[in-house]
Amino acid sequence: MTKDLARLLEAALPTGAEWASLRRVRSVERSYSARDGKFDAALVFEDEGYMIEVLSGGQFGYAAAASADPAALKRAAERALALAEAASPLALARFSPAVRPAWKHRWETPRAKAGLLGADLLAGAAVAMSAAMRLDPRIIQTTAAVETRDIEVEIVSTSGAALEQVLHLVSTGKNAVAREGNVVQNRSGHGPRGEFRQAGSEFLDLPALEEAARKTAREALELLGAEDCPSMTGDLVLAPDQMMLQIHESVGHPCELDRILGDERNYAGSTFVKLEDIGTLRYGSELMNVTFDPSLAGEAASYGFDDTGAEAKKEFIVEKGVLVRALGGLESQARSGKPGVADQRAEGWRRPPVDRMANLNLEPGASSFAEIVASVERGVYMEANRSWSIDDFRNKFQFGCEYGRLIEDGKLGRVVRNPNYRGISSSFWRNLRMVGDRSTFEAYGTPNCGKAEPNQVQFVGHASPTCAFRGVEIFGGEA
Amino acid sequence: MNAMRDLESRFDRAAGALLGALKAGEELSLEFAGESSLFMRFNQARVRQIGAVEDAMVDFKFCRDGRTSRRILTLTGEAGRDAELAARALEAARAEAALLPVDPYQVLPAAGGSSSETFPGKLPDPDAAPKEVLGPAAGMDFVGIHAQGAVARGAANSKGARHWFAAENFSTDWSAWLPSGKAVKSCYAGREWDSGEHARRLQAARPLLEGVAKPDKVLEPGSYRAYVSPGALEELMVFFSWRGLSEREFREGESSFMALREGRKSLSPKFALTQDFTLGVEPRFNELGEVAPERLVLIDGGRLASSLVSARTALQYGVASNAAPEHEGLRSPAVAPGGLAEADALKALGTGLYVSNFHYANWSDFENARVTGMTRFACFWVEGGKIVSPIKDMRFDESLYDLFGANLEDLTRERSLIPAVGSYGMRDIGGMLLPGLLVNGLRFTL
Repeated sequence: MTKDLARLLEAALPTGAEWASLRRVRSVERSYSARDGKFDAALVFEDEGYMIEVLSGGQFGYAAAASADPAALKRAAERALALAEAASPLALARFSPAVRPAWKHRWETPRAKAGLLGADLLAGAAVAMSAAMRLDPRIIQTTAAVETRDIEVEIVSTSGAALEQVLHLVSTGKNAVAREGNVVQNRSGHGPRGEFRQAGSEFLDLPALEEAARKTAREALELLGAEDCPSMTGDLVLAPDQMMLQIHESVGHPCELDRILGDERNYAGSTFVKLEDIGTLRYGSELMNVTFDPSLAGEAASYGFDDTGAEAKKEFIVEKGVLVRALGGLESQARSGKPGVADQRAEGWRRPPVDRMANLNLEPGASSFAEIVASVERGVYMEANRSWSIDDFRNKFQFGCEYGRLIEDGKLGRVVRNPNYRGISSSFWRNLRMVGDRSTFEAYGTPNCGKAEPNQVQFVGHASPTCAFRGVEIFGGEA
Repeated sequence: MNAMRDLESRFDRAAGALLGALKAGEELSLEFAGESSLFMRFNQARVRQIGAVEDAMVDFKFCRDGRTSRRILTLTGEAGRDAELAARALEAARAEAALLPVDPYQVLPAAGGSSSETFPGKLPDPDAAPKEVLGPAAGMDFVGIHAQGAVARGAANSKGARHWFAAENFSTDWSAWLPSGKAVKSCYAGREWDSGEHARRLQAARPLLEGVAKPDKVLEPGSYRAYVSPGALEELMVFFSWRGLSEREFREGESSFMALREGRKSLSPKFALTQDFTLGVEPRFNELGEVAPERLVLIDGGRLASSLVSARTALQYGVASNAAPEHEGLRSPAVAPGGLAEADALKALGTGLYVSNFHYANWSDFENARVTGMTRFACFWVEGGKIVSPIKDMRFDESLYDLFGANLEDLTRERSLIPAVGSYGMRDIGGMLLPGLLVNGLRFTL
């Protein structure tokens, strides 16, 4: 396939281009949802397009269009070249083709079952999950969704890149809303879009999905009778489906090189991390080991190369609590002179690649869940994100969860509703005092992390064990 | 004009191919979105990334035998290829619909009628944009995005509706920074680019930068009087769309304004919110080809006057639709003005905070309509009606029943039209008309 693309690039190449590439992206997204035990919606989104990048005077220009017509691609290439030439005198940085590696590779999501599931099966699964949550008249709404997305990316360049990648993404989602009097609570299981990963059709295990749906509804009912989370400064124990958000917001985004270099300041924000912190900053306690890991099978953002063609490899970002590397692709690495990772990613064919998280994980430690709970004198265990907010330097955060349980004298106690906590990233991670072992390690993801100008949505994965933090400000809904 | 005409041709060809191939007993509604845009991202008043995007998509709902199948396809701009893609998509929708369960609240297209609005603009030559936009910012740490070109939306259905909206416009959304990490924020947007106006706005930022260069005042957590500028209020308007004023969300317990709906709580009598298409920034039609009323009062005198009702919700619950889109989000919002002259805002504030921008706000407690977020950019401590110093950014956590309710002292007489400059998937259209708010208590927690 990349041979066809290479011929298109050759035909489109404008005179005067120092270097050019052509990236084709085809995505097929299928989504089926149900509400209150009945079918709600079915959507198939088929999208295909091309981005041509041209380098002139050290400045990239790009042009994106859906047409593969040679004349249209030629016009796009000329447009990209003209823009690169116009911008070159005012370029922020001067790049060479070295930031677009020339190698040949093919990568595809490993799948146990490669077959395509029919609309009847997928819609039926959503209906069954939604119906399974209707356990009690106090459940006033149930929703469920099953989604698949297949993404094919091909990249060729005038320097010889010939890259192909096929990702198979799947997700299941559910939500139960329960009401009694004026108390309304919702429970989704692992956060609204948390059950998001790579897999084949083996993901559709209907009995397991229905059982998870029933558990979700039971917990929504449980929350109705729960008291509000008390205010305290105490130990906070976070399940992996909340650690996902904690890692994402207070480690992932602050450690992105493009934020450190200032590109993102006008939109998603800056960071408290400075270039000179890389290699020296005490980010967290000795127990904190964070990796960029595109090789974890089944995690949402596993891949073989990023959208510049850089080879993706596992790297430590924080090792024994010290920031050793930032999250930046080849352009940011060239600008900063700092080590990075293969994470320069683009949303489809319409956007240029920018520094993004992919899979960013907290490595397992040595403590079992029982040991973590037993170590807590007074605190709260929280599951599943429902609220997230952090400042534009990624420091002062406040997060909320769906489901909490008090921990007193080393024992899990009663359920509490509206559990929230707040803190400051740079001190929060230094108070990481226990990290769960592999038995507590779970991977989640999200399809909708927003960043960049023009705006881009990107999917990310975060795997983590259960963790305990000391001295955290915890509070409930009325606080 | 060429780009707008090209987008309209793509819309008409796709609509023709889909609607023309329907068989007896089949119905279809479609919406179209397209753009021909230049994007220039900049940092330190220099170009970080520059490129052009040509994009057009058709999103259609196919209905047959009580079943509904929705598909989105990307159009190439090649007439023959797009006809082929549309025919294939329609056939796939037909085949898939046969496999799906019955749609219990299927909405068949009913609206006819047509409309067409086209707003040509005067934009910089794309190749001159780097010099035009960045030239006057020389010497400043100027960061942001310049976008320009044609944007279009359309809708059509098998009952004969055909609506079209296209504009050529630009937005330069930017901030200017000091090495200390303090900044001022601005946005210049419109249909006719004026390089003098752009330069004037940049010039106006320079004294503001001097203002934020002073040492920060560090506030202790607590409740403070505050003036919330229209730019800051914009960050909070999403909460009327997200778990907001949707009839479906009210019916299904997912709105955070359940207490407002049920009369258990109210907002200030001074607070009124209208969906107001007379702003002229967004079309009135939705994905079914229905046309919303020109003005829809949602909150009046602090009480819920209407919710946003789509045809699907109307069918399910037996209520009247007000032609909201299916997601029942707010379009073209306008908050009613108050009696405070903007020029007197600081004097009326006396001692407290001037908030220019909020950042990353989110619901923190659904049942109490509580929202948390951060201050951002040029926010100041004010004493005796005069700006004293910038503040170190603070986190707020406040119920909207208090912010727009008991704590709301007044709103400004003047309102600002805040343009929509987002570009997820495609450049947004729309905007909102907002006053500033004077509140006698805003709770800061961190």
